Parts: sequence; structure tokens; C-alpha cells
Amino acid sequence: MVIFIDYIAQGFKEAINLLISFDKEIYEIIFLSLFVSTSATIIASLIFIPLGIHLGIKDFRGKRVLSRILYTLMSTPSVVVGLLVAILLSRRGPFGYLDLMYTPKAMIIAQTLLVSPLILGLTYSLSKNRGKEIQKIGITLGASKLDIIILVTRELKIDLIVNIVTAFSRAISEVGAVMIVGGNIKNKTRVITTAISMMNSMGEYPMAIALGLVLLIISFGINSLIYSYSGED
Amino acid sequence: MEITISALKKYYGDKKILDIDGLSIEKGKITGLIGPNGSGKTTLLRIISGLDMDYAGTIKYDGSLLDEGIYKKMTLVTQKPYFFKRKVYENIEHPLKVRKVNKAVRKKKVEEIMYRFEIQDLRNKKGHLLSGGESQKVSLARALIFEPELLLLDEPTSNIDPVSIKIMEREILNFNRETKGTVLIVTHNIEQAERLCHKIIPLDGGKVVE
Repeated sequence: MVIFIDYIAQGFKEAINLLISFDKEIYEIIFLSLFVSTSATIIASLIFIPLGIHLGIKDFRGKRVLSRILYTLMSTPSVVVGLLVAILLSRRGPFGYLDLMYTPKAMIIAQTLLVSPLILGLTYSLSKNRGKEIQKIGITLGASKLDIIILVTRELKIDLIVNIVTAFSRAISEVGAVMIVGGNIKNKTRVITTAISMMNSMGEYPMAIALGLVLLIISFGINSLIYSYSGED
Repeated sequence: MEITISALKKYYGDKKILDIDGLSIEKGKITGLIGPNGSGKTTLLRIISGLDMDYAGTIKYDGSLLDEGIYKKMTLVTQKPYFFKRKVYENIEHPLKVRKVNKAVRKKKVEEIMYRFEIQDLRNKKGHLLSGGESQKVSLARALIFEPELLLLDEPTSNIDPVSIKIMEREILNFNRETKGTVLIVTHNIEQAERLCHKIIPLDGGKVVE
């Protein structure tokens, strides 16, 4: 047991050294992870937040069925999304001619598909419960349909930001989709989670722990930002 | 502006809430809707204001069926008004903003109406933090700021202090007198209805009582 704890402690020590020495490989991995997950979250948010609000405040037939479908899609395993994107982007696939497989673009596409149902579902649920009241006051004060979507977005912005961060957390912490469509290629498509997975299998714990620490620091930083922002509101 | 209602029927499930064969709300007048709980008063206001589109029958506004353009000319003040999580000033300014009124005019109008309602001290308070009486006054000020052609009021003075009631009633009468705006007010208070209204329409069981 003592040897095991020593081993972990040594791993942490080496991890800190790697981080403060600005190891190039580690920082490339960190930046690519942030770039891919942030891009995917922004793309999904821009498309699916307005759509989620619109569906949430609108009454239509089949709304219950839509809710169930959305909530099911929210828990789609990342490997399934990765597999789907890989089939679409592989050489024989319908989008094979774009030659995107094993590139950061493919990883962004996969993560966008992964977090889209989450953003859509969470926004839909939020608007269904709280957007109606805002829609009502919007109507009675003469707001157009577009004004109402803007109004709901403004009023629910803290909750929407929390949803966006939830989606970002899902993106940055998933390993299945980026592994399948990115291939974990050194200096090209290697991100934090695929690197941790690989280094664990190679027994290179210091590097794995360093990247794990970075994931925790990112998560802590984002949560702190949200709390300070929502506290101001 | 006249509202004519014909063959209006509204159900919640199997229960008939409204059954009005014919009703006219006269232009430029204050009309009171009175009746017991469940008589359909609030539902009628929700239908006219466009909040509830699920009904049978026709409602015409100056001879035209209700549409988005017509809804922009009217507003509804509810018993429990919703406020944006912004300052009272911005809440009152909002209807002018959506109507693209320029900033200088907006400022002048908001200042003026806050003075009339005696709510200048609430200017920087967040809308969702207002007390009951404050929120009713701010809600009416926000409704009157753009001088609607039709003002729909759903028990706007319930549970507020006598001084605030006096201010609100004065402003409703001023609005009607100065702009010739039409007012349709739901109230349980028969004395208030007599003080404010040119005409009182009793509703019971979803029907107009003759």
C-alpha cells in the first residue's frame, strides 16, 4: 500500500514538473483538446439554443414524443457517435471525398454531434418550464417571434450558460468519438482523453496524471467562472 | 377600436369555460367584466390578448380578425406580472424598445411615467425583486408607456394598499381620457367597477348575464 501511494505521489510530482516546465507535447495536447471541444460546443450552441427555445415555448402535436426522443439522444454513447461519423467520413462513406477522417475537423464534427442533443434537450426542457412565462409577457408587450427568442435567451442566460458548460464538459471528457475519428495521432489529433488512455496502457503514469490534473483544473476554472457570474446576477 | 365577439366557445377538456353568443366592447370606453371565480373573465382576456389561441368562434378588432399586427396595439396586465431580471427602468422601457422608439424619446417617456406613478425610487431595483404593490404599479406603467389602443387589465389592484390603488385608478382614468384608449378590466370589486367603468358586463358560468 505504501509503495502504491509513493508511486502515485511520484506521478503527481512529475506531472507538476511537466506542467511548469511547459512541456511542448503536453501543451499541444491541451490546446487541441480545448480547440476541438470549444469549437464543437460553440457550433452546437449557436444552432440548437434558438431551436430548443423555439420548440420549448411552442405548443404542437407530438411534443411529448419529441421530449422522449431528445432525452434518449442526450445519453447517446460517444463511441456510437464516433462510429457514425467514421462511417460517414471514411473513404467509402458519402463524405469520404472531403478527406476529413483523422483530422481535428472530423473530431469537431463528432463532438458537435455528440453535444447537440444535450444542448437541444437541456434548452428545450428549460424553455418548456420557464420560457412560457417570458413568452407570455413578450406577447402582451408586443414582441415579435424573434424578439421573444431573444428575450427568453436573455432572461435564461445563466441557466443556458450552465447548459453550455455541461455540454463542453461532456465534449472535453469523452474519449470514444475522438479516438475513433481522430485516431490519437501524435502532434495531429491527440487530445487529453485519448492521450491519458494511451499513456495508461503504456504505464506512463506521470504524463497521464499531468493531463488528468489539467482536465480537473479546466473543470474547476469553468465552474468558478460560472459561480462568480451567476452570483453577480 | 371596437371588439366584437361572436359565437365564442372555450373548453378545458370537457368543461365549457366560455360560451358567448355575441358581445361588443365599445371603443374609447372603460368596460368592466365582473363575476364570480371561474366565470371565464380571465380566460376571455387571455383569448383577446393572444395568449390563448385555442378557442372556437370569432373575435374582430375594428372589423378585422386578430393577428400579430393587432396584438401589438394591445397589452394585458395580469394579477401576478412577470418582470425581466433587469432594472425597473429597463422593464418599463422594454415595450418602447421593441417598437424601435428612439432612445431620447424613450428616456423622456419613462421618466414621465415613473413620476406619474410615483415610482422614481424603484428605478434601479431589479424587476423580479419588487413587492406585490410595487410590481402592480410598475406593471401598469409598463403597459401604459406605449399608449396601447386596448388595455386589458386582470384584477390589477388586487392585494395592494389603498394609496397605490388610488394612483392606479387615477392613471387608468387619465389614460382613457387623454388617449381615448379602450380599457377592459376584470375586477371582483364592484365599487371599483362603478368608479372606473362606463359599462359593466357580468359574466357567470362563461356566459354574459343579461
